[in-house]
Amino acid sequence: MRKYTLTIVSAVSIAATLLWLFGLGWTFQDQFSSNKKFEQPKEKTESAISKKQDGTLTIFAMGDSLTRGTGDADGKGYTGYLLERLKEKSEQEVNLINTAVKGETSRGLFKQLQQSEIQRQAKQADVIVMTIGGNDLFQQGTTLESLDMNAINSKKQIYLSNVKKIYSQLRDLNKEAVIYHVGLYNPFSNLPDAKTTSSIVRDWNFQTANTAAEFENIVYVPTFDLFQLQVENYLYTDQFHPNKEGYKLMAERVASLINFEQEEKES
Amino acid sequence: MINLVRNEMLKLLRKKRLFVIILIIAFLVPLFTYAQFKEIQDQRKKMGTQDWRTVLQQEITDTQNRLSSSRIQDEWRKYLKIRLSQQQYYLENDIDPRAPGAPTFMRVFVENSIDLLLPLLVMVIVADLVSSEASGGTIKLLLTRPVKRWRILLSKYLAMLLSVSFIVLSVAVLSYAISGLVFGYGGWNMPLLTGFAVSGDELLTDNVHIVPQWQYILMEFGLVWYVCLIVGTLTFMLSVLLRSTAAVMGIMLASLIAGAILINMVSSWESAKYFFMVNLNLTNYISGMATPIEGMSLGFSMSVLAVWGIAGFIIAFVTFSKRDIY
Repeated sequence: MRKYTLTIVSAVSIAATLLWLFGLGWTFQDQFSSNKKFEQPKEKTESAISKKQDGTLTIFAMGDSLTRGTGDADGKGYTGYLLERLKEKSEQEVNLINTAVKGETSRGLFKQLQQSEIQRQAKQADVIVMTIGGNDLFQQGTTLESLDMNAINSKKQIYLSNVKKIYSQLRDLNKEAVIYHVGLYNPFSNLPDAKTTSSIVRDWNFQTANTAAEFENIVYVPTFDLFQLQVENYLYTDQFHPNKEGYKLMAERVASLINFEQEEKES
Repeated sequence: MINLVRNEMLKLLRKKRLFVIILIIAFLVPLFTYAQFKEIQDQRKKMGTQDWRTVLQQEITDTQNRLSSSRIQDEWRKYLKIRLSQQQYYLENDIDPRAPGAPTFMRVFVENSIDLLLPLLVMVIVADLVSSEASGGTIKLLLTRPVKRWRILLSKYLAMLLSVSFIVLSVAVLSYAISGLVFGYGGWNMPLLTGFAVSGDELLTDNVHIVPQWQYILMEFGLVWYVCLIVGTLTFMLSVLLRSTAAVMGIMLASLIAGAILINMVSSWESAKYFFMVNLNLTNYISGMATPIEGMSLGFSMSVLAVWGIAGFIIAFVTFSKRDIY
């Protein structure tokens, strides 16, 4: 018995040695010879065709730190609370895909929207929510300190043209989904220059809403009023991003709009 | 010579060490299988989708968010950046690098065990190959035979080599067989990307090409075997030099674990790249991960390991033939 074990183990080990040597040799051949031709895989790993999942409501969120949820202690942000609200109200399964990146500007968002996977997800979405523009305007708070109207106006033009591109791209990708563009609030409304800053933000929002109105099914969701009074209660310690309560307010507002849209569909 | 090797193999089998090692692997693999299974399940529940693209995209955005935070270490940022571009590359080419299946599990398992677990297992076998003869006194009987000393040592070395191959094979077979029960046995032909090169914090994709997973796995196991062989050789050398098996194990254990720790903090100490233990992670070069120290590459790491291995081999043979036995 022992003799057989010895022979078998030895034989297997010798075979294994040869196999691993072969593998090692192949590694050399594969890794150290250059000019490999890169061929696209012909067989896709699974069907890449985008199709909507039946019976589920997919929310596609994109944009900047507000959508990401910076400042919320639970890390949910308004999208997280929105998801909770919709789950409560709807019998459907609700999914959230959040592709927001902190510090994203309108230009960055448009670039992100060129990625094939982002496009595929935008196509599949039933509802699209986004926030953008905060970083274009505020730039970490530096813009509103200098209050240079010329600079702000030129920024606004760039921003608006980017937003237009984003809107039309989204509409090209997905004709049905309603897009909710959540607007800006003025985080500085309890500071001395509040009057000026508020008017800048209002104007910014107004122009954005105007742009949104040029497209079908794009809803501009104002948040300015939510934060207008008692702004300090709704801001995170960085005095810029909303805190949990602030995000909840935003979520409620968007949630009420989405429900409205569904009821309309049913009737 | 063949008879000498046979004799050594017989001694190895008598000690039942190989058996113990197979048991250890057979115990660990179900553990990891379960952990991974849980992870996949959890992910599905959280994302509400089974589409790997959505999951991967979410991971990419998460990484982007981490990168945009300012309180992040430079090395970590570099690592994230490279992984980010790699994930993006996979996504653009519509390849799922983690499609569940037994071969994928095998691949991930060896990639994670190449730098510590497998060297430790090898060490357990090799540590007392010579030293136990010295401490047990049987070395005198062995050396009184009319056989040259280097031939005796060579037969031991060959037995070591064979058992290393055997361990690597059992890892392959066991991880495939056990994880397949959960993940299914398919997926050998799944395409994977290799040939990434890292320069600074950029990921170079000039040389990237597609290999089927079975080739990828074979290549990785070749590298795993190479690493185990070098670790085996070094342990073998210590086993010749020291009479106490415990000391051999202690030194090897310390250096292997030191390597695992060093990798996380040596990026600014450049000459540390000549240590053998920071070069064990050869499979990372195949999958295209950031290197722990600037200027390391597959060729470099393999040469460093080869130099250490050859040096260990020579020292072992010279000491063994010259040493006085009393």
